[in-house]
Amino acid sequence: MAIINHEAELARAGANVSSTGGQILFLARRYPLGAVGALIVLLFIFTAAFANFIAPMDPTTTNAKFSLAKPGSMYWLGADFMGRDMFSRIVYGARISLAVGAGATLLGGVLGVTIGLMSGYLGGWFDLATQRVMDIMQSLPLLVMALVMAASLGPSLENTIFAIAIPLVPSVARVVRSSTLSLREQPFVEAARAVGMGEVRIAVRHVLPNTLAPLIVLATAQLGSAILTEASLSFLGLGIPEPYPSWGRMLSESAAEYVRTAPWLVIFPGVAISLTVFGTNLLGDALRDILDPRQRT
Amino acid sequence: MRTRLAAVASGLAAFVIASPAFAQKQGGTLRISHRDNPPSASIHEEATISVIQPFMAVFNNLVVFDPKEKINSPDKIVPDLAESWSWNPDQTKLTFKLRSGVKWHDGKPFTAKDVKCTWDALSGKADEKSDLIRKNPRKVWYNNLKEVTVGSDTEVTFTLGRPQPSFLSMLAAGYSPVYACHAQGRDMRSKPIGTGPFKVADFKRNESIKLVRNPDYWKKGLPYLDAIDWKIVPNRSTRMLGFVAGEFDMTFDSDVTFPLLKDIKAQKADAVCEPRPSNVNQNILINPESPPFDKPEVRRALVLSIDQKPFNDILFQGNALSGAAMLPPPAGFWGMPKEMLQTLPGFASDVEKSRAEARKIMEGLGYSKDKPLKVKVSTRNIAIYRDPAVILIDQLKHVYIEAELDPIDTTVWYTKVQRKDYQLGMNLTGLGVDDPDTAFYENFYSTSDRNYTSYKNPEIDKLIDQQSAEPDREKRKKIVWEIEKKLAEDGARPVIVHNVAATCWTPQLKGVVLQHNSIYNGWRFEDMWLDR
Amino acid sequence: MGAYLTRRFLLMVLTLFGMSVLIFVMLRLVPGNVADILVDSAGIADPKEKAKIIAELGLDRPIFDQYLQWIGGLFRGDLGFAYVSERPAIEEIAPRIPISAKLAGLALFFSVILGVPLGVISAVRQNTGLDYFLRVLSLSGLSLPSFWLGLLILMASVQWFGMIPIYTNEPRSFIDEVLLLSIPAAAVGFRSSALIMRLTRSSMLEVLRQDYIRTARSKGASQTSVNYEHALRNALLPVVTIIGIEAAFLVGGLIVTETVFNIPGVARFLVEAILWRDYPIVQNLVMLIAFIVVTVNFLVDMAYMALDPRIKFAD
Repeated sequence: MAIINHEAELARAGANVSSTGGQILFLARRYPLGAVGALIVLLFIFTAAFANFIAPMDPTTTNAKFSLAKPGSMYWLGADFMGRDMFSRIVYGARISLAVGAGATLLGGVLGVTIGLMSGYLGGWFDLATQRVMDIMQSLPLLVMALVMAASLGPSLENTIFAIAIPLVPSVARVVRSSTLSLREQPFVEAARAVGMGEVRIAVRHVLPNTLAPLIVLATAQLGSAILTEASLSFLGLGIPEPYPSWGRMLSESAAEYVRTAPWLVIFPGVAISLTVFGTNLLGDALRDILDPRQRT
Repeated sequence: MRTRLAAVASGLAAFVIASPAFAQKQGGTLRISHRDNPPSASIHEEATISVIQPFMAVFNNLVVFDPKEKINSPDKIVPDLAESWSWNPDQTKLTFKLRSGVKWHDGKPFTAKDVKCTWDALSGKADEKSDLIRKNPRKVWYNNLKEVTVGSDTEVTFTLGRPQPSFLSMLAAGYSPVYACHAQGRDMRSKPIGTGPFKVADFKRNESIKLVRNPDYWKKGLPYLDAIDWKIVPNRSTRMLGFVAGEFDMTFDSDVTFPLLKDIKAQKADAVCEPRPSNVNQNILINPESPPFDKPEVRRALVLSIDQKPFNDILFQGNALSGAAMLPPPAGFWGMPKEMLQTLPGFASDVEKSRAEARKIMEGLGYSKDKPLKVKVSTRNIAIYRDPAVILIDQLKHVYIEAELDPIDTTVWYTKVQRKDYQLGMNLTGLGVDDPDTAFYENFYSTSDRNYTSYKNPEIDKLIDQQSAEPDREKRKKIVWEIEKKLAEDGARPVIVHNVAATCWTPQLKGVVLQHNSIYNGWRFEDMWLDR
Repeated sequence: MGAYLTRRFLLMVLTLFGMSVLIFVMLRLVPGNVADILVDSAGIADPKEKAKIIAELGLDRPIFDQYLQWIGGLFRGDLGFAYVSERPAIEEIAPRIPISAKLAGLALFFSVILGVPLGVISAVRQNTGLDYFLRVLSLSGLSLPSFWLGLLILMASVQWFGMIPIYTNEPRSFIDEVLLLSIPAAAVGFRSSALIMRLTRSSMLEVLRQDYIRTARSKGASQTSVNYEHALRNALLPVVTIIGIEAAFLVGGLIVTETVFNIPGVARFLVEAILWRDYPIVQNLVMLIAFIVVTVNFLVDMAYMALDPRIKFAD
């Protein structure tokens, strides 16, 4: 399979391919920026997973005495207008960002893969129809599409994921469709057909794995843009509603009112978003170089 | 030579007489920031400061609260389009003698017919074809208005069903402009005409409102300003930055919260800032039809759990006012005295004791720390509603109530509330006039549209009617206080605090008099002038 | 060729038609309609008043009729009446377009003069410290939310210059207007410049690897002239493409930036109209954006066909 078939190449380049650790170490040395990106993404996932252990306080507990408290020993990143700990809110915010980012990418991915596979494999009128629907969906910029979707669904966590996932579908479907089209005629697929393998099984067992490389590259890029889109939607008031500490929401409304007295309210959530997206972008670039040598940057 | 001098002198004298305060300067454009897009320009159709503050300057009332007084009081009402007024002996007929020679902005003359048209529309007596208004949020104000009759072009009489001393106060509010009979509703909503000191030059949605001086204003020499430019800036931080940077001469009314006030003073030391109550109170809507809030003791436990201080400290840095249904004195004209206030549930100084009592009630009903009552607190999904809701949720934890915030899209908030599709709600109630009739009839009378909790208490209805007809001010206050007390004890919209916020302007802007018991009054702008 | 053009054109029309149906239906799924909002501002929802407003706006008619009325109007150049302002929608939309267009143009200008040269430098100096620095910089451009960048710029300009670059309605002169718009334009353009830089770099690298460059070099053309004359000219085609596509997609960036900087453009207006459930405005604006995107895609394809003889369009 395409992704892991790098061992020979790695060995030629002098990597210790006998252990996974050795491979990772080699790749990290070869793609230092990608390694940084991977670290950031891991840190992000770790924070989201263990938010309840990392955050020193409850992200929703208000405290009048510490309204707009400066960053210090008690509130590491300061407190917001309601006296809620910013650090804890940012830590829990990672959970929301991951939920929306990964949720939307996954949902968009699954839908896109299904549609793309069917479209490329079945061809005919089905292909024609889905291609036109994809055309329609791609005739609006991502944020505009997500905005309209989010507004028609109403603000909630699930709806936001859905609103961001749908606009991601066409690009996934297109990638999968085009690789399916070229793979359909490959000898190994014909061979599978010759031995009487069912079409669905062929698609899932043989065609899908071979489209994984471009898919992973695409998914990494989409993870970043899903996180950014969530932030923008929440900033515009159409994303995640208040009980959830969303980074984008923290930057809108009341936080922005206190930019002068409490700049930390604006700086830290913004840093959190930027850093996370930066990490996914670094990782995505490196993955593309590794997995998809034709598009090497 | 001598004659010329004399001519100059008499000219000067005439000028002095024409503009009594010699110091005022004519001219200039006042630039103000606006917080959001006004839903329309038609004051009678809306219930928000977003409409009143910019558009009150386009109109006149029959009578108005004295714009030079900080406190709106029934004793300080002055003529506007009416030169004088009189009551008949049994206090049911109010006759106004109107000013003559007043013209609408389109040049047509103002007459008593316009007054009749306006109040016929407001009391639902206009004929079907009338298009002056399509929404009427203050219908309850005119439940007692039987008929408006035109005596002559300059005389009009309001006939009431029973004596109602507050009626004149309602007519004096910013919410009671006189509309032109010949106007179309659509025009009133987009580019209204009035008789007031400023004409609407342009109302660009989401962008700006431009008012220009009405050169034919019936008050000679007024207004001083050439124009008022409102710029709609939805983001509060951008508005504040704009004021600090001198892009605006004045902030939107009550736009400056206390944390921001400190900031503005630090940035712009010469800014004149005046904090005042906005006569908007934060209150809790308890749906009595949603179990377990159908039990009065649960409602009582909820009220006892509230500690007003953190709300006040967080949201107002301790500057908000503690009061019941009416704005408390000294700013408020009708509110109950402090000693009485402290006897109400939720107002006790020892919160821990109240909460212990509340916990006992909850325990009696089978709730405990491990088995809390789970509820949803619904509120409008905008910061001024959400912030207190978050604090409320935090406080309910103390009495075994585990609440979750349910932010409602602002577009469907009232629809949802009206359907009683909520358990607890965090609500803001603003009062156009500091007056018991408007407060009680709008919010607590059993038949009112705006009685969001469907509070039905025949005894309260009777008391409300009773105070409304009471001519003796002191006797009436006693009944008002009794109503306030009963409402608090019934957990009918328990009031948390009465908001206080500041409005700031540049020292070059003169003649600003903010009214301290209603933000909805006093925005005619005709006496303001710019010293530059 | 002619057949291909016709086919492309028909597809374009089909896409726009599909979009019109999609947006029309989606808007009507939204909880709460404009009547809810209009009565909400009055603090009550009297069912009778609400019903009257709904009838007045024609919202009680069958959805199919409403759609036909809208589309029929579009063909006559009639965009309908805005619900909230009760003025013809065209009067609300048209005056807001120039501001957004100027902003987008300026942002595009920034991103090109920044993105193309930096991309070239980065490619020529591949794998040097400078290249790494520029690549990280461009990635950060793709990672910073533009509204955050805008907020930071606002904070900084008040802190250091005591002024605020918000748009006033009547800039005194053209220069004034450009100055006022250039800060928000930079906030939007930063992201596109990053995209353009990355694409310039990768397509430069690809060209540099190709045979004819090696040939030119072996014929003794100087390194610099090879880099800049031969390579750049050939690398520019995909760059032109992405610039075209970015131009259409800038709308997304404009939405948040116009909100932060309070620019009364058409992108912020779209958000406001969505919040107000002002269907005629939202429908027409969405169609306008889709039209721009589809047309730009079409033009880009045409440009490709004209410029690159290797590309053939079979059917």
